[in-house]
Order: sequence, then C-alpha cells, then structure tokens
Amino acid sequence: MIQRLASFKQIARGLACLLPLICFVSCLTAKNHEAASSPTGVTMQVTHVLGFESIPKNASGNLSIQGNALRFQKSEGAGAQISVGAIQDVFVGQEDKQVGGKTMAVGRAATPFGGGRVIGLFSHKKYDTVTVEYLDQNGGFHGAIFQLNKGQAQVLKNELVAEGAHVTNLEDQPAKPSAQENKNESK
Amino acid sequence: MNPSKTISSALFLVSAVLMLAASQPRLLAQTRSVQVDKVDPGDVKIEPAFTVAIYENLLEELSKTKQFKQVFRSGDRNASGPDLLILKIKVQKYTPGSETRRAVTTVSGATKLNVRSQLCSPDGQVVLERVVDGNVRFFGGNLRATHNLAHNVAEAIKKSDLTGPPSSVREKK
Repeated sequence: MIQRLASFKQIARGLACLLPLICFVSCLTAKNHEAASSPTGVTMQVTHVLGFESIPKNASGNLSIQGNALRFQKSEGAGAQISVGAIQDVFVGQEDKQVGGKTMAVGRAATPFGGGRVIGLFSHKKYDTVTVEYLDQNGGFHGAIFQLNKGQAQVLKNELVAEGAHVTNLEDQPAKPSAQENKNESK
Repeated sequence: MNPSKTISSALFLVSAVLMLAASQPRLLAQTRSVQVDKVDPGDVKIEPAFTVAIYENLLEELSKTKQFKQVFRSGDRNASGPDLLILKIKVQKYTPGSETRRAVTTVSGATKLNVRSQLCSPDGQVVLERVVDGNVRFFGGNLRATHNLAHNVAEAIKKSDLTGPPSSVREKK
C-alpha cells in the first residue's frame, strides 16, 4: 500500500514537471499555426482608423498581404482588399493614446482630488500608425489609416515594398509626438 | 367669413412661402457636384496621417450635408462638367497635441489645425473662400481635430449661398 502511494507521488511529480513543458510546446505549435495561416507571412492584429474601402471606422481585425493584395479582415463580418499595385505611398507614424476609451475618460473625470490626472499619467500606450495612399479603379485617391502595436508598422511597410508597393520614402522614422509638441506652433 | 380662420390660413400661406424660399438654395446647389482635392500641406510640417484624415473626413462630411449631387475623390475620371466645383484645402497652421497631456493637465496639449479652404469653378475661379479651424482640446485622440475641421468646412459651405455670383470672396475665422 505504501509502495503504491509512493509510486503515485512519483507520477504526480513527473506530471507536474512535464506540465510547463507541454504548455510551452503547445504555445509554439499555436504560433507556428498562426504563421502558416498567411501565405506571405505577415498577418497583423490592427485597428482600422479610417478610409479603407467600406470598412467602418475603429473596426479591429487582421491586416494581411495575400498574393498581390492587402487585405483587411474584420474580427466579425466582412473584409475588404486592395491591390498592392494600386498603392501610391505608405507612411509610418507613432501615436500616444489613452487606453480605456470613453468609460475610462468618464472614470478619470469622476475620480476625486485630481486622481484622474494621476490615472491619465499612467494609462497611456504607444501605437504605430500606417497610412496607405492608394488609387481606386476610377483613379480616385484614397487614404487609409491603421493603428498597430508598437514596432509593427515598419515591418508592414517593408513587406508592402517587397510585394511591389510604390513608396517615396523607404526608411520612415516614426514621428515622435513628444518631439513635435516642443515646437509649439509651426507656421 | 370667420376672421380667425382667415388669419390662420394667411399665416399658413406665408410660412409655406418662407419654407419654399429657404429650401430654394439647397435645391439649386444640389445640381452641382464637388471634387475634393488632396490636402496641400504647404510649408507646414504635418504628418501624412493628418492630411489623409482631413481628406477622408471631408468626403464624408460633404456627403452628409446633401448640398451636392455627387462628391468625387481627387483624380476621379468621372468628375467633369461645368457644374463641377473643386474644393482645395491648404494647411496654414498645425499645432501637434498630446492626448496624455490633455488628460493630465486639461489646459495644455490641444491639437490645433487651421486651413484655407477654396471652392473653385472648373475654370479656376474662386467661388468661396474660408479660413477654418479644427481643434481637439479635451476628449478624444489627436485625429479628432481632422474630423472637427472637416465638419467646420462642410458647415461653412452649407451656410454659404453657392447660387450667388462666383465673385464673392469672403474670409471668416
């Protein structure tokens, strides 16, 4: 009986040791699966700010390069795509935004003793933005803005250039908002 | 005949005439189309995202006013004809702001835009000229300034009488 208990304990310990390893392997497999889902290797979780075909403002979804097309697929519902050849220019920028949206803004305003300001000081996040200028079938000029996680914008731009998108300035340095703020007013 | 009935019918007639007169410019303006040109940054150092956002928001806001038969994009091959107006926007001032500074200080960090908008006829004559501001001072991201600006430009066009002579060049802050 005592021997049985001892063997149970050994098995349990073995399983406990194996558990992190199993988790790690499953994470790796999932990542590999995600990468495999896009044929050219770039699929990014983005927020559509404005301007991309019929996609509504502030819709979140996946932006990917599939074949010769830049495709935005909404998390729920329809997507839209444009030809990479129609792209006239791509710009990279940086944005510092408050997190939490309207709910958080109301919460900050309602916090007494100026506590909202302190919250505001810490509740912000930096994002990259990508601005894509392209022409439609009638020659009409369009501009679309996407918000990406920090560091992803240049990757997307490089991928678009590799696919044949027309870009005037290859190495965009994301404009840092804080540096621009110092110049109080440009004429 | 009852005098009160006569007065009320006269009032009704007057109000109907006034309503008809008020709707006249809109009906006439709807015979025109507008083409929105790309935003000219001029000498101002402004992020491309802002110029693109102004352009896209203008297209949306002009469509909302229902003042024009059609709203065309810059370079659209279908945009032609004597009734076509061209909207040109030139950035005059741009003050980059910060949402975080606005949230922390309330009084600083405003994003400010100031543009000169010109509505031109196909032969290049200026039909309408306005200097318009678009700011974001308290809530919202920096790009909200472009939405406010586009709304103000569309409102300025809506308030103006486009049916009048095309020489009336006025400025308004």
